[in-house]
Amino acid sequence: MNETVVTYLAQYEFFDYLTAFFGENSLLLTTIIFFVFAGIFVAVAATIGGLGTYAERKISADIQMRMGPNRVGPFGILQFLADGVKMITKEDVMPRTADKFLFYLAPLMCLVGVFATLAVFPVSSGFTLVDLNVGVFYLIAISSLVGVGVFLGGYASNSKWSMLGGMRGASQIISYEIPVTISVLTITLLAGSMSFGNIVAKQEGFLTNWFVFHNPFAFIAFFVYFVGALAETNRAPFDLPEAESELVSGYHTEYTGMRFGFFALAEYIEVFVVSGVAAALFLGGYNLPVKVEIDMIPIQLVQISIIVGKSLALYYVVIWVRWTFPRLRVDQLMSICWKYLTPIAIFNLVGCAIWMVVFKGQSMAQLLMGH
Amino acid sequence: MFLDILFLGSALLTVVSAILVLTTRNIMHSCIFLLGSLIGIAGLYATLGADFVAVTQVMVYVGGIVILMLFAVMLTGGKDFVSKAQSLLGLMPTMGNAWSYGVGGLVAVVFLLTNVQLLSRLGAMAQKKNDGSFESTVNKIGHLLVKDHVLAFELSSVLLLGALVGAAIIARPRKQ
Amino acid sequence: MITLASYLVISMILFLVGIMVMLSRKNIVAILLGIELILNAAALNFVAYSKFVTNNLDGHIFSLFIIVIAAAEAAVGLAIVIRFFQLKETIHIDEATQLRN
Repeated sequence: MNETVVTYLAQYEFFDYLTAFFGENSLLLTTIIFFVFAGIFVAVAATIGGLGTYAERKISADIQMRMGPNRVGPFGILQFLADGVKMITKEDVMPRTADKFLFYLAPLMCLVGVFATLAVFPVSSGFTLVDLNVGVFYLIAISSLVGVGVFLGGYASNSKWSMLGGMRGASQIISYEIPVTISVLTITLLAGSMSFGNIVAKQEGFLTNWFVFHNPFAFIAFFVYFVGALAETNRAPFDLPEAESELVSGYHTEYTGMRFGFFALAEYIEVFVVSGVAAALFLGGYNLPVKVEIDMIPIQLVQISIIVGKSLALYYVVIWVRWTFPRLRVDQLMSICWKYLTPIAIFNLVGCAIWMVVFKGQSMAQLLMGH
Repeated sequence: MFLDILFLGSALLTVVSAILVLTTRNIMHSCIFLLGSLIGIAGLYATLGADFVAVTQVMVYVGGIVILMLFAVMLTGGKDFVSKAQSLLGLMPTMGNAWSYGVGGLVAVVFLLTNVQLLSRLGAMAQKKNDGSFESTVNKIGHLLVKDHVLAFELSSVLLLGALVGAAIIARPRKQ
Repeated sequence: MITLASYLVISMILFLVGIMVMLSRKNIVAILLGIELILNAAALNFVAYSKFVTNNLDGHIFSLFIIVIAAAEAAVGLAIVIRFFQLKETIHIDEATQLRN
């Protein structure tokens, strides 16, 4: 059965007051709790997305030996609010020959595709919104909506640059879904389940229980997943569809103001979600370094901070990669996916399956310690 | 209660989007309405407790087929396509005149009555009710695919390989 | 109260709309959209019967295979459409009148 926030909260005493007020098994209570938690998640994700723009400018400045924004607020930390205000107050321009319906729909699709993945994002063992039995599969499926949004954004602007950017972006996203999905399948093989709760629960305990150290195939799968996810979110060095110097900013050229803000916000939140998924699948998720049996609210808060910390560490790596490597051409990008990453991912899957059969599911650490 | 709301919403989305696929002139808008219809059907699968099938539907159709259709529309002339058909009330293109529609309607009514007569027995077979208690189908589908239905599984992989190679060969650019 | 009949009605409506789309559009890609609607209606029917009548998951397996086959057929169909466009410079269905050349 899928575990939700509601079933987790139902084991506390204060929940009985709410049940007495709303009635037994009430739909209204469930809806209110879901809306409250979803609102919190969306607000936190949007803040992290906004701070991501600030972090990117500061980290890139650090790499390039200059100071980033440091005027607005202490250390320039309110810069993202200033950017937000600028974006909201810009004029909303639409080209006259553009397709109105699709022009309005494209940024919404990107945003919905990203925010819907927050429903299964593994924050902690109790506060995950819904722990679906097909959690990882659902996440990958819903983020395909971003590809459709990118294509529509490129098409609806009715301009040659945007169309090219949109087609390249969509083909990049659907191509890199394959190594990502196969790497996630490798983890599903190791954990025996597709739900985030089960996958993270299998990695509890000491550092060597993490799936990235389970066998060499899972180790390689982590890097395949990371590179594939970088390409799926259109992040450098795979960011040709939105390259500022090539295509005059590609598929979101004609978007101004808040619509452009939707595209940018969707991209930054997607990077956070993808690094969070990498942390949950490969790096142990929200588990504490020791096994804890008791289950209280402070433990949940520690778990939340652990997974947010791991995701932000991977976020730093993503930003670092962007400002280190040169941009790939579109044919190099496609050949990396189809000629290198996909065969490596398939080889990983087969190798991991063989490992599970030969060594009966033990990790390298367990074999070394002689279980 | 929640199941009823989800069912109603998904059913409305599916049927309205399908009818809009029929009536829109612009082919790009039709593809997007097909996308809406497919997402609605995924919601209907979710009300039936078929979680794996619902997510597979979203992944394959939304992430693959709709984008493929959009690409094909773009590569083959796109929205500059001009439809020369006459239309009924400006809404739907019509296929024939009143005589053909009359005969067709009569056939449809006879067909409908025959079907209702045949299917009334099947309706009585529906003993199980949808009470909202679902269990995960992922493990069971996995077991079924490699135990009972392994032949269809292997054949479908051969079919996909054939489709992959065939589509690449048919549509490759020719040196002319 | 949701019964088996409600799912059957929905799949019947989808099937009829799919047939209407196939019959009345002149753009070949639009005809392929109709085919997708028909296949989805059939798959919905299978899953509904699997839930309400039988005790096993054969309907789900069949729906999965329908999705797989629909994907393969859409890919090949669109490849044919692209080839047709390379030859005739249009995708109006009335131009598809010859069996060779």
